[in-house]
Amino acid sequence: MNIRLFFRSALLSTILAYLLIFIGGLVRVSGAGMGCPNWPKCGDNWIPPTNVDFEQFNLTLAWIEFINRSFGAILGISIIVLCFLSIKYFYSNKKILSISFLSLFLVIANGVVGGALVWTNLNPFIKTFHMILALALVSSLSFLTVESYKNLRDKKIILNSASLPNKKIILIFAFLIIIEILLGTGIRTNIEIIQTEFPLLNKSEQLDSIPFYKYFHTFLGFTLLFLSFYLYKKFSNHSLRIIKSLNTFILCMIIVQILLGELLVFFELPQLARLFHTWGSSWLVGISVIYYNLIDYELA
Amino acid sequence: MNWLSRKITFSFFIILSLGFLALFVIDKAVESRLNNLPIISNVSNFELTNFDNQKFTNDQLVGKLSLISFIFTNCEDACPIMSSHFSILQKRFYDSNSIQFISITVDPSFDSKDILKDYSKNYSIKDNWFFLTGDLQAIISLAEDGLFVSAALLPTGHSTRFILVDQNANIRRYYEGTDESSIFEIQNDILTLLDT
Repeated sequence: MNIRLFFRSALLSTILAYLLIFIGGLVRVSGAGMGCPNWPKCGDNWIPPTNVDFEQFNLTLAWIEFINRSFGAILGISIIVLCFLSIKYFYSNKKILSISFLSLFLVIANGVVGGALVWTNLNPFIKTFHMILALALVSSLSFLTVESYKNLRDKKIILNSASLPNKKIILIFAFLIIIEILLGTGIRTNIEIIQTEFPLLNKSEQLDSIPFYKYFHTFLGFTLLFLSFYLYKKFSNHSLRIIKSLNTFILCMIIVQILLGELLVFFELPQLARLFHTWGSSWLVGISVIYYNLIDYELA
Repeated sequence: MNWLSRKITFSFFIILSLGFLALFVIDKAVESRLNNLPIISNVSNFELTNFDNQKFTNDQLVGKLSLISFIFTNCEDACPIMSSHFSILQKRFYDSNSIQFISITVDPSFDSKDILKDYSKNYSIKDNWFFLTGDLQAIISLAEDGLFVSAALLPTGHSTRFILVDQNANIRRYYEGTDESSIFEIQNDILTLLDT
Protein backbone atom coordinates (compact mmCIF):
# COMPACT_ATOMS: atom_id res chain seq x y z
CA MET A 1 0.00 0.00 0.00
CA ASN A 2 2.76 2.39 0.97
CA ILE A 3 4.76 1.49 -2.07
CA ARG A 4 1.63 2.07 -4.14
CA LEU A 5 1.38 5.55 -2.63
CA PHE A 6 4.94 6.31 -3.67
CA PHE A 7 4.31 4.90 -7.15
CA ARG A 8 1.22 7.08 -7.54
CA SER A 9 3.09 10.12 -6.30
CA ALA A 10 5.93 9.45 -8.78
CA LEU A 11 3.44 8.91 -11.60
CA LEU A 12 1.64 12.14 -10.76
CA SER A 13 4.92 14.08 -10.70
CA THR A 14 5.91 12.56 -14.05
CA ILE A 15 2.60 13.55 -15.65
CA LEU A 16 2.87 17.06 -14.18
CA ALA A 17 6.44 17.35 -15.48
CA TYR A 18 5.30 16.43 -19.00
CA LEU A 19 2.47 18.94 -18.83
CA LEU A 20 4.94 21.55 -17.60
CA ILE A 21 7.18 20.89 -20.62
CA PHE A 22 4.12 21.38 -22.81
CA ILE A 23 3.25 24.67 -21.10
CA GLY A 24 6.90 25.78 -21.28
CA GLY A 25 6.86 25.04 -25.01
CA LEU A 26 3.67 27.05 -25.31
CA VAL A 27 5.38 30.00 -23.60
CA ARG A 28 8.17 29.72 -26.14
CA VAL A 29 6.05 29.50 -29.28
CA SER A 30 3.62 32.20 -28.18
CA GLY A 31 6.54 34.48 -27.34
CA ALA A 32 5.36 34.97 -23.75
CA GLY A 33 8.78 34.43 -22.17
CA MET A 34 9.10 38.08 -21.15
CA GLY A 35 5.39 38.32 -20.28
CA CYS A 36 6.52 38.91 -16.72
CA PRO A 37 9.41 41.34 -17.01
CA ASN A 38 10.95 40.22 -13.72
CA TRP A 39 11.40 37.06 -11.64
CA PRO A 40 10.24 35.57 -9.29
CA LYS A 41 7.57 38.26 -9.03
CA CYS A 42 5.47 39.25 -12.03
CA GLY A 43 5.51 43.04 -11.99
CA ASP A 44 5.11 44.40 -8.48
CA ASN A 45 3.22 41.39 -7.18
CA TRP A 46 3.44 37.62 -7.25
CA ILE A 47 0.30 37.46 -9.38
CA PRO A 48 0.09 39.50 -12.60
CA PRO A 49 -2.30 42.44 -12.45
CA THR A 50 -5.68 42.23 -14.13
CA ASN A 51 -5.62 45.76 -15.41
CA VAL A 52 -2.65 48.03 -15.86
CA ASP A 53 -1.47 50.66 -18.28
CA PHE A 54 -0.30 49.23 -21.58
CA GLU A 55 3.25 50.48 -21.44
CA GLN A 56 4.48 48.05 -18.87
CA PHE A 57 2.57 44.90 -19.51
CA ASN A 58 0.95 42.69 -22.05
CA LEU A 59 -1.53 41.04 -19.72
CA THR A 60 -2.18 38.02 -21.94
CA LEU A 61 1.51 37.20 -22.18
CA ALA A 62 1.95 37.87 -18.45
CA TRP A 63 -0.75 35.34 -17.59
CA ILE A 64 0.66 32.70 -19.96
CA GLU A 65 4.05 33.06 -18.28
CA PHE A 66 2.46 33.15 -14.84
CA ILE A 67 0.63 29.85 -15.46
CA ASN A 68 3.97 28.34 -16.47
CA ARG A 69 5.58 29.50 -13.22
CA SER A 70 2.64 28.38 -11.08
CA PHE A 71 2.66 24.97 -12.70
CA GLY A 72 6.37 24.74 -11.96
CA ALA A 73 5.62 25.52 -8.31
CA ILE A 74 2.91 22.83 -8.21
CA LEU A 75 5.37 20.31 -9.65
CA GLY A 76 7.90 21.43 -7.02
CA ILE A 77 5.41 20.72 -4.22
CA SER A 78 4.54 17.37 -5.74
CA ILE A 79 8.25 16.43 -5.79
CA ILE A 80 8.72 17.59 -2.18
CA VAL A 81 5.93 15.16 -1.21
CA LEU A 82 7.70 12.49 -3.27
CA CYS A 83 10.92 13.10 -1.34
CA PHE A 84 9.13 12.74 2.00
CA LEU A 85 7.59 9.47 0.83
CA SER A 86 10.98 8.25 -0.36
CA ILE A 87 12.48 8.90 3.09
CA LYS A 88 9.57 7.16 4.73
CA TYR A 89 9.26 4.07 2.58
CA PHE A 90 12.50 3.75 0.66
CA TYR A 91 15.09 4.85 3.16
CA SER A 92 17.08 1.68 2.54
CA ASN A 93 16.72 1.89 -1.23
CA LYS A 94 19.49 4.36 -1.98
CA LYS A 95 18.68 4.43 -5.70
CA ILE A 96 15.10 5.64 -5.20
CA LEU A 97 16.08 7.93 -2.35
CA SER A 98 18.88 9.65 -4.24
CA ILE A 99 16.95 9.99 -7.51
CA SER A 100 14.00 11.51 -5.60
CA PHE A 101 16.29 14.18 -4.20
CA LEU A 102 17.97 14.61 -7.55
CA SER A 103 14.50 15.37 -8.97
CA LEU A 104 13.95 17.94 -6.25
CA PHE A 105 17.29 19.54 -7.05
CA LEU A 106 16.48 19.57 -10.79
CA VAL A 107 13.06 21.17 -10.34
CA ILE A 108 14.46 23.92 -8.09
CA ALA A 109 17.49 24.47 -10.32
CA ASN A 110 15.28 24.72 -13.38
CA GLY A 111 13.07 27.27 -11.64
CA VAL A 112 16.16 29.40 -11.03
CA VAL A 113 17.31 28.90 -14.64
CA GLY A 114 13.84 30.14 -15.64
CA GLY A 115 14.58 33.24 -13.59
CA ALA A 116 17.96 33.61 -15.29
CA LEU A 117 16.13 33.50 -18.62
CA VAL A 118 14.10 36.55 -17.64
CA TRP A 119 17.15 38.37 -16.24
CA THR A 120 19.08 37.79 -19.46
CA ASN A 121 16.17 38.75 -21.72
CA LEU A 122 15.68 35.17 -22.95
CA ASN A 123 19.26 34.30 -23.79
CA PRO A 124 18.92 31.48 -26.38
CA PHE A 125 21.60 29.33 -24.73
CA ILE A 126 19.91 29.54 -21.34
CA LYS A 127 16.64 28.59 -23.07
CA THR A 128 18.31 25.42 -24.31
CA PHE A 129 19.72 24.71 -20.87
CA HIS A 130 16.23 25.21 -19.39
CA MET A 131 14.93 22.56 -21.81
CA ILE A 132 17.80 20.13 -21.13
CA LEU A 133 17.22 20.35 -17.36
CA ALA A 134 13.52 19.69 -17.95
CA LEU A 135 14.45 16.57 -19.94
CA ALA A 136 16.74 15.43 -17.11
CA LEU A 137 13.84 15.96 -14.71
CA VAL A 138 11.34 13.87 -16.69
CA SER A 139 14.00 11.18 -17.04
CA SER A 140 14.57 10.96 -13.30
CA LEU A 141 10.83 11.05 -12.57
CA SER A 142 10.11 8.38 -15.20
CA PHE A 143 12.84 6.29 -13.60
CA LEU A 144 11.23 6.64 -10.16
CA THR A 145 7.84 5.65 -11.58
CA VAL A 146 9.18 2.48 -13.19
CA GLU A 147 11.44 1.62 -10.28
CA SER A 148 8.61 1.88 -7.76
CA TYR A 149 6.34 -0.04 -10.11
CA LYS A 150 8.82 -2.90 -10.03
CA ASN A 151 8.59 -2.97 -6.26
CA LEU A 152 4.83 -3.18 -6.56
CA ARG A 153 4.88 -6.38 -8.53
CA ASP A 154 5.59 -9.21 -6.16
CA LYS A 155 5.85 -11.91 -8.78
CA LYS A 156 8.39 -11.42 -11.49
CA ILE A 157 7.67 -12.67 -14.93
CA ILE A 158 10.45 -15.06 -15.65
CA LEU A 159 11.62 -14.56 -19.15
CA ASN A 160 14.22 -16.02 -21.32
CA SER A 161 16.71 -13.18 -21.39
CA ALA A 162 17.62 -14.04 -24.97
CA SER A 163 14.14 -13.02 -26.10
CA LEU A 164 14.51 -9.52 -24.71
CA PRO A 165 15.88 -6.61 -26.67
CA ASN A 166 19.55 -6.08 -26.08
CA LYS A 167 20.21 -3.42 -23.45
CA LYS A 168 22.91 -1.97 -25.66
CA ILE A 169 20.42 -1.29 -28.45
CA ILE A 170 18.23 0.68 -26.09
CA LEU A 171 21.25 2.57 -24.81
CA ILE A 172 22.30 3.42 -28.36
CA PHE A 173 18.73 4.45 -29.13
CA ALA A 174 18.60 6.73 -26.06
CA PHE A 175 22.01 8.17 -26.93
CA LEU A 176 20.91 8.94 -30.50
CA ILE A 177 17.70 10.52 -29.21
CA ILE A 178 19.74 12.85 -26.99
CA ILE A 179 22.07 13.78 -29.88
CA GLU A 180 18.99 14.36 -32.05
CA ILE A 181 17.45 16.64 -29.42
CA LEU A 182 20.71 18.58 -29.04
CA LEU A 183 20.84 19.08 -32.82
CA GLY A 184 17.19 20.18 -32.74
CA THR A 185 17.75 22.69 -29.94
CA GLY A 186 20.83 23.89 -31.83
CA ILE A 187 18.67 24.59 -34.88
CA ARG A 188 16.06 26.32 -32.71
CA THR A 189 18.70 28.48 -30.99
CA ASN A 190 20.21 29.36 -34.34
CA ILE A 191 16.84 30.41 -35.75
CA GLU A 192 16.19 32.61 -32.74
CA ILE A 193 19.55 34.33 -33.04
CA ILE A 194 18.93 34.89 -36.77
CA GLN A 195 15.41 36.20 -35.99
CA THR A 196 16.86 38.71 -33.53
CA GLU A 197 19.69 39.89 -35.74
CA PHE A 198 17.72 39.89 -38.99
CA PRO A 199 14.09 40.46 -38.06
CA LEU A 200 13.06 41.17 -41.63
CA LEU A 201 14.02 37.73 -42.98
CA ASN A 202 11.07 35.48 -43.67
CA LYS A 203 10.86 31.98 -42.22
CA SER A 204 12.32 30.13 -45.18
CA GLU A 205 15.22 32.58 -45.40
CA GLN A 206 15.86 31.99 -41.70
CA LEU A 207 15.93 28.24 -42.28
CA ASP A 208 18.25 28.68 -45.24
CA SER A 209 20.70 30.62 -43.08
CA ILE A 210 21.27 27.68 -40.75
CA PRO A 211 24.57 25.86 -41.32
CA PHE A 212 24.81 22.36 -42.79
CA TYR A 213 24.38 20.56 -39.47
CA LYS A 214 20.61 20.92 -39.92
CA TYR A 215 20.82 18.02 -42.39
CA PHE A 216 22.27 15.80 -39.65
CA HIS A 217 19.05 16.35 -37.73
CA THR A 218 17.06 14.97 -40.67
CA PHE A 219 19.56 12.17 -41.31
CA LEU A 220 19.57 11.09 -37.67
CA GLY A 221 15.77 11.26 -37.63
CA PHE A 222 15.62 8.65 -40.40
CA THR A 223 18.32 6.57 -38.68
CA LEU A 224 16.11 6.51 -35.60
CA LEU A 225 13.18 5.52 -37.79
CA PHE A 226 15.09 2.49 -39.09
CA LEU A 227 16.23 1.57 -35.61
CA SER A 228 12.74 1.78 -34.18
CA PHE A 229 11.36 -0.17 -37.13
CA TYR A 230 13.97 -2.86 -36.47
CA LEU A 231 12.94 -3.05 -32.79
CA TYR A 232 9.29 -3.16 -33.78
CA LYS A 233 9.80 -5.97 -36.30
CA LYS A 234 12.12 -8.03 -34.17
CA PHE A 235 9.93 -8.02 -31.09
CA SER A 236 6.52 -7.84 -32.70
CA ASN A 237 5.64 -11.28 -31.33
CA HIS A 238 7.12 -10.81 -27.91
CA SER A 239 5.24 -12.54 -25.12
CA LEU A 240 5.48 -9.55 -22.82
CA ARG A 241 2.82 -7.06 -23.89
CA ILE A 242 4.64 -4.03 -22.56
CA ILE A 243 7.66 -4.71 -24.78
CA LYS A 244 5.40 -4.82 -27.82
CA SER A 245 3.57 -1.66 -26.73
CA LEU A 246 6.80 0.21 -26.12
CA ASN A 247 8.18 -0.70 -29.55
CA THR A 248 4.94 0.28 -31.27
CA PHE A 249 4.80 3.51 -29.32
CA ILE A 250 8.40 4.42 -30.16
CA LEU A 251 7.88 3.68 -33.86
CA CYS A 252 4.70 5.78 -33.97
CA MET A 253 6.36 8.63 -32.09
CA ILE A 254 9.36 8.68 -34.46
CA ILE A 255 7.03 8.73 -37.49
CA VAL A 256 4.98 11.56 -35.95
CA GLN A 257 8.19 13.45 -35.12
CA ILE A 258 9.47 13.15 -38.70
CA LEU A 259 6.11 14.32 -40.07
CA LEU A 260 6.06 17.28 -37.67
CA GLY A 261 9.67 18.09 -38.57
CA GLU A 262 8.87 18.13 -42.29
CA LEU A 263 5.81 20.26 -41.54
CA LEU A 264 8.14 22.72 -39.79
CA VAL A 265 10.40 22.98 -42.82
CA PHE A 266 7.85 23.01 -45.62
CA PHE A 267 5.16 25.08 -43.96
CA GLU A 268 7.57 27.57 -42.41
CA LEU A 269 7.51 26.63 -38.75
CA PRO A 270 3.85 26.65 -37.74
CA GLN A 271 3.82 27.24 -34.03
CA LEU A 272 1.62 24.31 -33.09
CA ALA A 273 3.86 21.85 -34.96
CA ARG A 274 6.89 23.34 -33.20
CA LEU A 275 5.23 22.84 -29.84
CA PHE A 276 4.36 19.19 -30.46
CA HIS A 277 7.74 18.47 -32.07
CA THR A 278 9.48 19.65 -28.89
CA TRP A 279 7.03 17.90 -26.61
CA GLY A 280 7.29 14.65 -28.57
CA SER A 281 11.05 14.65 -28.15
CA SER A 282 10.61 14.79 -24.37
CA TRP A 283 8.30 11.77 -24.55
CA LEU A 284 10.96 9.81 -26.40
CA VAL A 285 13.48 10.59 -23.69
CA GLY A 286 11.14 9.36 -20.95
CA ILE A 287 10.20 6.25 -22.95
CA SER A 288 13.87 5.36 -23.42
CA VAL A 289 14.43 5.57 -19.67
CA ILE A 290 11.39 3.38 -19.00
CA TYR A 291 12.39 0.86 -21.67
CA TYR A 292 15.95 0.51 -20.42
CA ASN A 293 14.83 0.23 -16.84
CA LEU A 294 12.29 -2.43 -17.69
CA ILE A 295 14.78 -4.64 -19.49
CA ASP A 296 17.23 -4.09 -16.69
CA TYR A 297 14.60 -5.44 -14.38
CA GLU A 298 13.56 -8.41 -16.46
CA LEU A 299 17.17 -9.42 -16.86
CA ALA A 300 17.91 -9.11 -13.16
CA MET B 1 -14.02 -1.60 -27.12
CA ASN B 2 -11.15 -3.32 -25.40
CA TRP B 3 -8.91 -1.93 -22.71
CA LEU B 4 -6.08 -0.85 -24.99
CA SER B 5 -8.12 0.89 -27.64
CA ARG B 6 -10.03 2.75 -24.94
CA LYS B 7 -6.74 3.99 -23.58
CA ILE B 8 -5.55 5.04 -27.04
CA THR B 9 -8.82 6.90 -27.68
CA PHE B 10 -8.50 8.62 -24.32
CA SER B 11 -4.89 9.68 -25.00
CA PHE B 12 -5.84 10.88 -28.46
CA PHE B 13 -8.63 12.95 -26.98
CA ILE B 14 -6.28 14.48 -24.39
CA ILE B 15 -3.68 15.39 -27.03
CA LEU B 16 -6.35 16.83 -29.29
CA SER B 17 -7.66 18.98 -26.41
CA LEU B 18 -4.14 20.14 -25.61
CA GLY B 19 -3.70 21.03 -29.28
CA PHE B 20 -6.86 23.12 -29.35
CA LEU B 21 -5.95 24.76 -26.06
CA ALA B 22 -2.50 25.62 -27.45
CA LEU B 23 -4.02 27.04 -30.65
CA PHE B 24 -6.32 29.20 -28.57
CA VAL B 25 -3.43 30.48 -26.42
CA ILE B 26 -1.20 31.16 -29.45
CA ASP B 27 -4.04 33.04 -31.12
CA LYS B 28 -4.69 35.10 -27.99
CA ALA B 29 -0.99 35.92 -27.75
CA VAL B 30 -0.91 37.19 -31.34
CA GLU B 31 -4.06 39.24 -30.75
CA SER B 32 -2.69 40.68 -27.52
CA ARG B 33 0.38 42.08 -29.29
CA LEU B 34 -1.79 44.31 -31.44
CA ASN B 35 -4.12 45.18 -28.55
CA ASN B 36 -1.07 46.22 -26.61
CA LEU B 37 -0.36 48.91 -29.17
CA PRO B 38 -3.43 51.11 -28.77
CA ILE B 39 -3.65 54.45 -30.55
CA ILE B 40 -2.65 56.84 -27.76
CA SER B 41 -2.85 60.16 -29.60
CA ASN B 42 -2.04 61.83 -32.87
CA VAL B 43 1.28 63.70 -32.93
CA SER B 44 0.56 67.42 -33.11
CA ASN B 45 1.93 69.66 -35.85
CA PHE B 46 5.59 70.58 -35.66
CA GLU B 47 8.35 71.88 -37.85
CA LEU B 48 12.02 71.25 -37.13
CA THR B 49 15.17 71.07 -39.21
CA ASN B 50 17.49 68.18 -39.94
CA PHE B 51 21.28 68.67 -39.72
CA ASP B 52 21.39 68.93 -43.52
CA ASN B 53 19.10 71.99 -43.38
CA GLN B 54 16.07 70.07 -44.67
CA LYS B 55 12.79 70.86 -42.97
CA PHE B 56 11.15 68.00 -41.13
CA THR B 57 7.46 68.32 -40.28
CA ASN B 58 4.75 66.09 -38.87
CA ASP B 59 3.69 65.34 -42.47
CA GLN B 60 6.84 63.25 -42.84
CA LEU B 61 5.60 60.92 -40.13
CA VAL B 62 2.84 59.72 -42.43
CA GLY B 63 3.54 56.51 -44.35
CA LYS B 64 6.38 55.30 -42.15
CA LEU B 65 6.85 53.85 -38.70
CA SER B 66 8.85 56.32 -36.64
CA LEU B 67 10.87 55.83 -33.50
CA ILE B 68 11.52 59.12 -31.73
CA SER B 69 14.00 60.05 -28.99
CA PHE B 70 15.17 63.24 -27.27
CA ILE B 71 18.92 63.60 -26.83
CA PHE B 72 21.76 66.13 -26.73
CA THR B 73 25.33 65.60 -27.86
CA ASN B 74 26.99 66.65 -24.59
CA CYS B 75 24.98 64.12 -22.64
CA GLU B 76 27.22 61.49 -21.13
CA ASP B 77 24.95 59.00 -19.42
CA ALA B 78 21.66 58.16 -21.09
CA CYS B 79 22.05 59.52 -24.62
CA PRO B 80 24.97 57.35 -25.79
CA ILE B 81 23.03 54.27 -24.64
CA MET B 82 19.82 55.49 -26.26
CA SER B 83 21.56 56.29 -29.54
CA SER B 84 23.37 52.96 -29.57
CA HIS B 85 19.99 51.24 -29.14
CA PHE B 86 18.68 53.22 -32.12
CA SER B 87 21.79 52.21 -33.99
CA ILE B 88 21.19 48.50 -33.32
CA LEU B 89 17.59 48.81 -34.50
CA GLN B 90 18.64 50.78 -37.60
CA LYS B 91 21.06 48.00 -38.55
CA ARG B 92 18.55 45.23 -37.95
CA PHE B 93 15.87 46.93 -40.06
CA TYR B 94 18.35 48.20 -42.63
CA ASP B 95 16.52 46.67 -45.58
CA SER B 96 13.17 48.20 -44.71
CA ASN B 97 12.11 51.50 -46.20
CA SER B 98 9.06 51.65 -43.94
CA ILE B 99 10.91 52.71 -40.80
CA GLN B 100 12.58 55.97 -39.81
CA PHE B 101 14.44 57.13 -36.72
CA ILE B 102 14.18 60.64 -35.28
CA SER B 103 16.44 62.07 -32.60
CA ILE B 104 15.59 65.59 -31.45
CA THR B 105 18.17 67.66 -29.59
CA VAL B 106 17.08 69.28 -26.34
CA ASP B 107 20.11 71.56 -26.38
CA PRO B 108 19.68 73.46 -29.66
CA SER B 109 21.82 76.40 -28.57
CA PHE B 110 24.88 74.12 -28.37
CA ASP B 111 23.96 71.38 -30.85
CA SER B 112 24.52 73.18 -34.11
CA LYS B 113 23.75 71.34 -37.33
CA ASP B 114 27.45 70.54 -37.79
CA ILE B 115 27.71 69.10 -34.31
CA LEU B 116 24.59 67.02 -34.94
CA LYS B 117 26.05 65.86 -38.24
CA ASP B 118 29.26 64.75 -36.54
CA TYR B 119 27.25 63.06 -33.82
CA SER B 120 25.17 61.21 -36.41
CA LYS B 121 28.29 59.76 -37.99
CA ASN B 122 29.02 57.91 -34.76
CA TYR B 123 25.73 56.06 -34.83
CA SER B 124 23.82 56.22 -38.08
CA ILE B 125 24.61 54.13 -41.17
CA LYS B 126 21.64 55.09 -43.35
CA ASP B 127 19.77 58.25 -44.29
CA ASN B 128 16.60 57.14 -42.48
CA TRP B 129 17.78 58.61 -39.17
CA PHE B 130 17.01 62.31 -38.75
CA PHE B 131 18.77 64.46 -36.16
CA LEU B 132 16.47 67.42 -35.66
CA THR B 133 16.94 70.83 -34.13
CA GLY B 134 14.95 74.02 -33.93
CA ASP B 135 13.65 76.62 -31.55
CA LEU B 136 13.93 75.38 -27.93
CA GLN B 137 10.35 76.39 -27.19
CA ALA B 138 9.09 74.46 -30.20
CA ILE B 139 11.04 71.40 -29.04
CA ILE B 140 9.63 71.65 -25.51
CA SER B 141 6.13 72.05 -26.86
CA LEU B 142 6.55 69.04 -29.17
CA ALA B 143 7.85 66.94 -26.27
CA GLU B 144 5.24 67.93 -23.72
CA ASP B 145 2.13 68.60 -25.78
CA GLY B 146 2.79 66.63 -28.94
CA LEU B 147 4.43 63.49 -27.62
CA PHE B 148 3.53 63.64 -23.92
CA VAL B 149 7.03 63.19 -22.49
CA SER B 150 8.68 65.41 -19.91
CA ALA B 151 10.94 68.27 -20.96
CA ALA B 152 11.71 70.02 -17.70
CA LEU B 153 15.17 71.26 -16.65
CA LEU B 154 16.66 70.86 -20.09
CA PRO B 155 18.97 69.68 -21.35
CA THR B 156 19.78 67.15 -18.60
CA GLY B 157 16.17 66.64 -17.57
CA HIS B 158 15.03 65.34 -20.95
CA SER B 159 12.92 62.22 -21.22
CA THR B 160 14.80 59.01 -21.91
CA ARG B 161 11.77 57.35 -23.42
CA PHE B 162 11.45 56.17 -26.98
CA ILE B 163 8.18 56.90 -28.71
CA LEU B 164 6.81 54.57 -31.38
CA VAL B 165 4.63 56.37 -33.90
CA ASP B 166 2.70 54.48 -36.58
CA GLN B 167 2.22 55.19 -40.31
CA ASN B 168 -0.72 57.52 -39.53
CA ALA B 169 1.31 59.64 -37.09
CA ASN B 170 -0.39 58.05 -34.09
CA ILE B 171 1.60 57.42 -30.92
CA ARG B 172 1.37 53.68 -30.21
CA ARG B 173 3.77 52.94 -27.38
CA TYR B 174 6.54 54.28 -25.12
CA TYR B 175 9.71 52.43 -24.09
CA GLU B 176 12.47 53.11 -21.62
CA GLY B 177 15.24 54.04 -24.05
CA THR B 178 18.13 53.17 -21.75
CA ASP B 179 16.79 49.69 -21.09
CA GLU B 180 18.34 47.00 -23.28
CA SER B 181 15.22 44.85 -23.11
CA SER B 182 13.37 47.64 -24.93
CA ILE B 183 15.17 46.67 -28.15
CA PHE B 184 13.50 43.27 -28.05
CA GLU B 185 10.10 44.84 -27.36
CA ILE B 186 10.47 47.48 -30.05
CA GLN B 187 11.51 44.87 -32.60
CA ASN B 188 8.43 42.76 -31.88
CA ASP B 189 6.16 45.80 -32.02
CA ILE B 190 7.67 47.04 -35.29
CA LEU B 191 7.08 43.61 -36.83
CA THR B 192 3.50 43.61 -35.52
CA LEU B 193 2.80 47.04 -36.98
CA LEU B 194 4.52 46.24 -40.29
CA ASP B 195 2.27 43.19 -40.64
CA THR B 196 -0.93 45.18 -40.21
